[in-house]
Amino acid sequence: MKKRTLKIKRFNPTKDKKPYWQEFVVEAEDTDRILDALNHIKWYVDGSLTMRRSCAHGICGSDAMCINGKNLLACKALFKEVGDDVTIEPLAGLPVIRDLVVDMEPFMEHYRTVLPYFISETPPPSYGERLQSIEERKIFDDTTKCILCAACTTSCPSFWARGEYIGPSAIVQAHRFIFDSRDDGAAARLDILGNADGVWRCRTIYNCTNACPRGIEVTKAVGEVKKEILFSTL
Amino acid sequence: MKAIGQMPRPKSGSTFELLSWFYMRVSGLLMALMITFHLLWMHLIVGLDNINFSVVADRWMYPITGTLWRVFDLLLLIFAVTHGMNGIRFSIEDYVHNRSWQLFLKTAVAILLLFLLFIGSYIVFVFEV
Amino acid sequence: MTVISSTKDFVVRTATYKGGVGHASWILHRLGGIGIAVFLILHIIDIFMIVLGKEMFDFFLFIYHQPIFRPAIWGLMFGIFYHAVNGVRIIIHDFFPSTFRYQREMVLGAWVIIGILVVLTVGMDIFNWITYAGSH
Repeated sequence: MKKRTLKIKRFNPTKDKKPYWQEFVVEAEDTDRILDALNHIKWYVDGSLTMRRSCAHGICGSDAMCINGKNLLACKALFKEVGDDVTIEPLAGLPVIRDLVVDMEPFMEHYRTVLPYFISETPPPSYGERLQSIEERKIFDDTTKCILCAACTTSCPSFWARGEYIGPSAIVQAHRFIFDSRDDGAAARLDILGNADGVWRCRTIYNCTNACPRGIEVTKAVGEVKKEILFSTL
Repeated sequence: MKAIGQMPRPKSGSTFELLSWFYMRVSGLLMALMITFHLLWMHLIVGLDNINFSVVADRWMYPITGTLWRVFDLLLLIFAVTHGMNGIRFSIEDYVHNRSWQLFLKTAVAILLLFLLFIGSYIVFVFEV
Repeated sequence: MTVISSTKDFVVRTATYKGGVGHASWILHRLGGIGIAVFLILHIIDIFMIVLGKEMFDFFLFIYHQPIFRPAIWGLMFGIFYHAVNGVRIIIHDFFPSTFRYQREMVLGAWVIIGILVVLTVGMDIFNWITYAGSH
């Protein structure tokens, strides 16, 4: 066990005018996760500390936050990876509701605009399932892994600068359906993503790819969508 | 999914941003070569301190190479001004959120673009010793 | 939709986010781009001064060639070559998205090319400057 300092950005809209920093000292192992330390603070030190977490195993995507200047899932980041002293802030670019909890609504709004559901104009086969070859599935396999944690979108300088930008996460979700051989909604999605605040705001910075806790090659997916729109228009 | 570029697409939305994105890449690639040539020429062949009126005037006045230089300079002017002012437009859209200010600055950039193209091409076309 | 509440927030976030080489490259690319655009405006206007005739044009160039402007010109050399080479790198990533795996290597390669071009032009400037100053 080792003493570690957690510097957390606190904000309670009913009491505070501005966010402020508060330090907590906790004992934790090298192999403990940042979430373990946050839970310890919440349960035994200061019950008012507010953050989202659900599954605590990197699947639900609730506890993305900016840890030591980088967007990570608190439940996947170990102390031995991020260092002994840790600075924790809420995700950038979304309104802070309280402490580490941000309002995900603007993010979800962008997600909904790309029609993130299966659209088919062909009736299902009378017997069995809609079949797909291994190769056809492989094209969009990477983008099926997205858990909508918002780590990528809130790491993007284009999104920080301009909240109207649809953001990498929504493009990943669109990619998942655009390149699905069973789906017929690609035309509508490409039209939405081709707008002024669609894929063209991407400056190929790669923050999203570095931030993704699921290891999705986000910028590659965005690039594939850009190329698809470009070559189907020219 | 069909091969890249084969998907059907409704043509409702504006393609301006797409074309602007593509143009930035095409002009950027051409300019990377042209400006490298321009700078290496001016700094290695001519020498910065040797640049004066006659260096600039002479290379435009020779019968055939003069025309080639004028074409080169005109293309560089057009690419540089459009690429540069479009980049400034991106920055304005990113960092200026007040709608009136944004409109004002974007209009100013558009006027500046036309002004620079005008005075630049005026020199390239009209210059005589 | 207000996302980042103030310009200060945005600057702080951009400066402190640990996004890797791509993030730093983008900051330089954008700052350099704005700088070059400002120089471009001055450059077109100063070439336009050629209509005023030989004496006036050479007078402007005389001001331009003053030693205090030298560091600015060398900074400009770096800015332009950086923007050009980094821009080509981004174009390669855009049109061949799978090259992102070699991002670090490509950034390193870009710096080598930028270094060579800057050393060539700035080195020649310094060489000419010394010999020019010696001959007058």
